[in-house]
Amino acid sequence: MSLRKITSIAELHKYLHAALQLEHATIPPYLTALYSLSPGTNSDAARVLRVVIVEEMLHLTLAANMLNAVGGSPELTRPGFVPQYPTRLPDGETDFEVGIQAFSREALETFLKIERPARSPEEGSGFVRRPRSEGAVLPTFMHDDDTEMHFYSIGEFYHEIGRGLKSLHEEMSARGENLFSGDPSRQITPDFYYSGGGEIIPVVDLDSALEAIRLISEQGEGIGGAIYDYEGEISHYYRFQQLVLGRYYQKGDEADQPSGEPIAVDWGSAYPVKRNARLDDYPRNSELHAAAVRFGTDYQALLGTLTQAFNGEPGLLEAAVGEMFRIKESALQLIRNPIPGMDGVNAAPVFDVRSSEGGDHE
Amino acid sequence: MNCQVDHTTAANTTYDAVIVGSGVSGSIIAKELSDNGFHVLVLEAGPGHEFTVPAYQQYLERFYAAPTKDNNSPYPENSNAPMPRSPDTRKLQPGETDGSSYLVQKGPLAIDSTYTRVVGGTTMHWEAKALRMLPQDFEMRSRFGVGLDWPLGYQQLAPYYRKAEFELGVSADVEDQNYLGMDFGDDYVFPMRRMPPSYLDKMLARNLDGTEVVLDGETYSLAIRSTPQARNGIPNPGYDNGRGYTPVGAVSVHPAEEGGRCQGNINCTPICPVQAKYSAKKTLAKALATGRVDLLAQTVASRVHVGPDGRVSHIEYKAYRDPSSSEHTTGTVRGRIFVLAANAVENARLMLASGLPGRSGLIGRNLMDHAYLLTWGLTPEIAGSLRGTQCTSGIEDLRGGPFRRRQAAFRVGVHNDGWGWATGSPYTDLDEFVDKQNAFGAALRHKLVDRLSRQVLLACMVEALPEPSNRITVEGGYKDSLGNLRPIVSYGISDYTMAGVSCARQLSRRLYQRLGAEDCTTYSPIDYGYVSYQGDGYVIRGGNHWAGTHVMGDARNHSVVDWRQRSWDHENLYLVGAGSMPTIGTANTTLTLSALSFLSAKHMVRELKQHQATTTAAANS
Amino acid sequence: MSNGAENLQDFLAFSSFVTGFPLFRLRGTGQAEPYLSTVVKVVGDGTTRELLSRFRAIQTESGDDVTAMEASLRARILSDERLGPIARNIIKLWYIGTWYQLPAAWRDAFGVLEHDSTFVVSPAAYTEGLLWPAVGANPPGAKGPGYGTWAEPPRFPDVP
Repeated sequence: MSLRKITSIAELHKYLHAALQLEHATIPPYLTALYSLSPGTNSDAARVLRVVIVEEMLHLTLAANMLNAVGGSPELTRPGFVPQYPTRLPDGETDFEVGIQAFSREALETFLKIERPARSPEEGSGFVRRPRSEGAVLPTFMHDDDTEMHFYSIGEFYHEIGRGLKSLHEEMSARGENLFSGDPSRQITPDFYYSGGGEIIPVVDLDSALEAIRLISEQGEGIGGAIYDYEGEISHYYRFQQLVLGRYYQKGDEADQPSGEPIAVDWGSAYPVKRNARLDDYPRNSELHAAAVRFGTDYQALLGTLTQAFNGEPGLLEAAVGEMFRIKESALQLIRNPIPGMDGVNAAPVFDVRSSEGGDHE
Repeated sequence: MNCQVDHTTAANTTYDAVIVGSGVSGSIIAKELSDNGFHVLVLEAGPGHEFTVPAYQQYLERFYAAPTKDNNSPYPENSNAPMPRSPDTRKLQPGETDGSSYLVQKGPLAIDSTYTRVVGGTTMHWEAKALRMLPQDFEMRSRFGVGLDWPLGYQQLAPYYRKAEFELGVSADVEDQNYLGMDFGDDYVFPMRRMPPSYLDKMLARNLDGTEVVLDGETYSLAIRSTPQARNGIPNPGYDNGRGYTPVGAVSVHPAEEGGRCQGNINCTPICPVQAKYSAKKTLAKALATGRVDLLAQTVASRVHVGPDGRVSHIEYKAYRDPSSSEHTTGTVRGRIFVLAANAVENARLMLASGLPGRSGLIGRNLMDHAYLLTWGLTPEIAGSLRGTQCTSGIEDLRGGPFRRRQAAFRVGVHNDGWGWATGSPYTDLDEFVDKQNAFGAALRHKLVDRLSRQVLLACMVEALPEPSNRITVEGGYKDSLGNLRPIVSYGISDYTMAGVSCARQLSRRLYQRLGAEDCTTYSPIDYGYVSYQGDGYVIRGGNHWAGTHVMGDARNHSVVDWRQRSWDHENLYLVGAGSMPTIGTANTTLTLSALSFLSAKHMVRELKQHQATTTAAANS
Repeated sequence: MSNGAENLQDFLAFSSFVTGFPLFRLRGTGQAEPYLSTVVKVVGDGTTRELLSRFRAIQTESGDDVTAMEASLRARILSDERLGPIARNIIKLWYIGTWYQLPAAWRDAFGVLEHDSTFVVSPAAYTEGLLWPAVGANPPGAKGPGYGTWAEPPRFPDVP
């Protein structure tokens, strides 16, 4: 898929769908790293990962609220919504690979790249001219001269959504139309969503939409790359960095120099899960294969429940919470099972079973 | 968190208030006083001053690894501030005194109630049911000719109930709770919506709603009703005139994103793994955040000293570093007012150990606890037991009525967690199937589903009246490892309560009959809680709702504290908590004692402000 | 143990048969190794091997005949005065993560073993107990199924 600068509601919908896909894309790698931790070890790391995942879920829901507010309908079940891992995300001039793997230093390096504050060096140059890498999550951007551009970073992608929202809103208001014409009953409100990872914002106008974008950007990257976000919470980048540097941040710290309590990370205490596992890594007709298929099917079902919840049945979020807990248990069981015939390698959940076995990825 | 002060600094400070105990009463009072600018010292006998998730995790891991999962199993053994534990309870022979564990039992009945001596107190293990008392519960003497009247009534306490429901974070719907004269005010909603009723509750409601009971000529129609709980649910957007409510999650100095909402861990007692359940640590954390509260943990108040003017001059303590060693230091702390908030047993114990039995002679007397009669059965169909919070619903219709002239009122809690409390299930069931029924493999799995998923336990919580003979005392021979006198409990159950017990048993039989459930209840004569009444035997369990040992009243000769919980004998001393309650009705005591704490704190603030004004005036003249 | 991997396979095969849970589910608890080492630590390597090799023999002799295998298990292991109580303890290990002290009669007959007391193998052994998932529930204090799930009918995993 490729995008143009947001000049129409149709383009805006495409961007917001891409945002949903993007916010979801980080969840499988984070979840797998979290679930791979050996029980009773690395409780600090587990807590840090958990906090970030909870906030990513919030971001996903905020993206759904934005899309609903401008008359779109979130769809999380279509083929390709779950990226085929490894996938790629932008990091300034280049892309980097995001895969599914056990908790490790290498996994943390990737997570830091995902969350790294990266605005383009100069205003208005939020794009990079280079060919699209295979499996990139973010769509490319088609320049007016029809050359393919890339977002410099996730931050630039959201920047464009914010810009598009503002300009469409102004244009339409001038014509006496309302960009935010979506049915407010489709909004996910605090009645239905409570996580502790920040409050859900119902999106009903330009202000609330920009507020949602601000929250997503700042929880990930902090304010302009600062350690803390608007709510005074540490941004994802610096949360992860605490694990790498082995120390918590405390108020008053400078970036990259946390001075709080030490964190002991046991980098070796994780199940050795198969990196970017696919269904055909598991012997046909084995209990393991069946369990992996079950996991993938349940994961699709969860995305289906979320889709319904985001399409006028917000009460279903309660059921989705139960599904998430069940999926966690299934993932843990997979991760603790060695793969027959692969010495010292354990199974891992496969999040998209449809594209994982044979066939082409869309 | 700025919570620790060293003993030397504390000894050299005259605090506005010295509070003994960091449980719910002490924490609320510390928060209210510090919010008003006053400087407060909290003494806590037990450990647990870390306000972090990893520290809490240690409680959880201790619970997981404990072969016996009793109320205090998550909390460390500590001979310097020991706590009663239910597995320590032994059957008493007539006239026997059992001094083998911390709580010395004189009988005639052994009581298995406990409390927890760590920072946060017994709210660390409480189940978090948060029922208000009924208006009639405050007027037992004048309405029914039994028990005592309170010096204040429901209407006076109502605004403080609201404060308590905010502080504890209660989930309930007013529509379910306005029975038997409980008035919530026109505009009131609880901070959070009610906990969803369990699948079991709904099965029971379908079959049991409308059951009629006739008592003393009056007919009561029963209903399965949602129970208010101090546990995070879905915030009610209408709370506080539409300003809403933000649930308080896990106590943590680092973002934990836990405790937002109950996950159904079915383990409210003894420990909620995610801190969705309220504990006093949540309030204490707010108090400490004011920067005006100092906390000294592992510091056991050992003696209250009274000056010639009758006012408390200072409190002596014993502080220890290592819970496994009795090595300790002693010291004293001073304040303008002193607040004993160490629970009904420990407050009385400390006063008596200080040689302060009071002019009324009532300190330690009138000990009350709810008598629990457990009944259990198997539903005819799968009920999905062992899921949810421990209790989501109950039967409240017999909490009040004219029959209270003759017999105790009671409520019936529907337990989602199976027979565990009564029989030791599921462990005992597993033993039975594996060791006696010789089941294994698929057959064993089928038996487990068939037995465990159909379990229902109806816990009948029966009221007790204040009886002077039920009491806490101390004697020189019984000391703990720091040399502090241990509490001695004398406890029996009155015929008034037993009449309620018997009525509850008869009702539960009818409920099982109506459900078509197999009534599996049995009471063994060798059980420590076995009581005979009118030819039938029952087993009584304690409710951990210790109360009454320093009752409040209108007259100094007939009560220990006034309606503000201020000591009649020592005007700068407050004894707070369920010990002040003259009756306990059929409500778990925590919500009411929290409301009382807010009420008392208001008067303490007034008193301290007056004191400030006087000293300022004196300095200026 | 000289041949750990082989013993683990035998231990899992035995455990699956006596608990009624498939191998994938047993391994999914992450407790196979700790449970086997618990048994070895308490009753010794020799007795553990004896139990497992007796089970292997039963398996080989019975082939696909499950009824015959069950009868044989009862006759040769569960009713064996020495191995029966150990086998029952292994069932309980998987279900609740607790090793129970062997019965007094066992201790009288075969001697008191140094590590034979009632203990929970580890905090994780408790939370991974199979008793609770067997009845569609979670171990109290862990693996909470999520807000409001208790209002729905229970789901039980299939019994093979």
